[in-house]
Amino acid sequence: MFGAFRPTSVAQGGLLWKTPWKLSVTRKANARSRLKKVDAVIEAVRSSGVQCSALEHALKLPKEHEMPAKDKYTVFSPHEKGYRKGIHKVPKWTRLTLRTNPKGF
Amino acid sequence: MALNLCRRQQIALPLLRFNARRALSTATLPAETQNFTPSAPTSVLSETPNTHFKITLRRSGISMGKKIQGTLLALGFHRRHQTVYHPHSPEIAGKILRVKELVEVENVPTQLALTKQQQRQARKAPSGFEVVGLRRDNFMNV
Repeated sequence: MFGAFRPTSVAQGGLLWKTPWKLSVTRKANARSRLKKVDAVIEAVRSSGVQCSALEHALKLPKEHEMPAKDKYTVFSPHEKGYRKGIHKVPKWTRLTLRTNPKGF
Repeated sequence: MALNLCRRQQIALPLLRFNARRALSTATLPAETQNFTPSAPTSVLSETPNTHFKITLRRSGISMGKKIQGTLLALGFHRRHQTVYHPHSPEIAGKILRVKELVEVENVPTQLALTKQQQRQARKAPSGFEVVGLRRDNFMNV
């Protein structure tokens, strides 16, 4: 009715924002292809031969094939049980780099 | 790796690999690769070195914040799917890496680095006629 909001009974507050707790197979595939595209951009800048500190930072990021599934589809959250939440819960996650998480989480 | 091969193919496969390995070890490399030194990165088509970034905006900067939108403006982007050419430099490289999630990059030689007018000419369809002369050019010249 109102975009992402679904109508519920007035006793429960009237509006409910439902999102699945994990990504579907399609969304995961799209996330992987976006990671590969960013890898291609970093590779293009590296192969140009230019040197800058931003490139040094970018090369330290893991590539899509080096990342565990946990890092591709979930992100560190200090508030959740298990300290992880779905990466799709991060606003603008399709346009942000969220490859690394705090060590040990 | 699990390949769905028939029995005959399964027997033939190890032999192919063995022969390929032998061929690789005894093949002499061509002269260019033996004297290879990593110099200016070359384009695939010819030996011209790649001097420019060809940058295309694929994802918009809406709601990304003033800094990211400022970076896109600094690169010369005003709309999605716009292509922009910049010579190789650490400043441009830094800007690209700031917006790496939004952008697609390719390295091209100088000849392929088009200006805005050249890109527009390349996009134009042929008009179907050729202007041979204009009446106003002959006016008062007779």
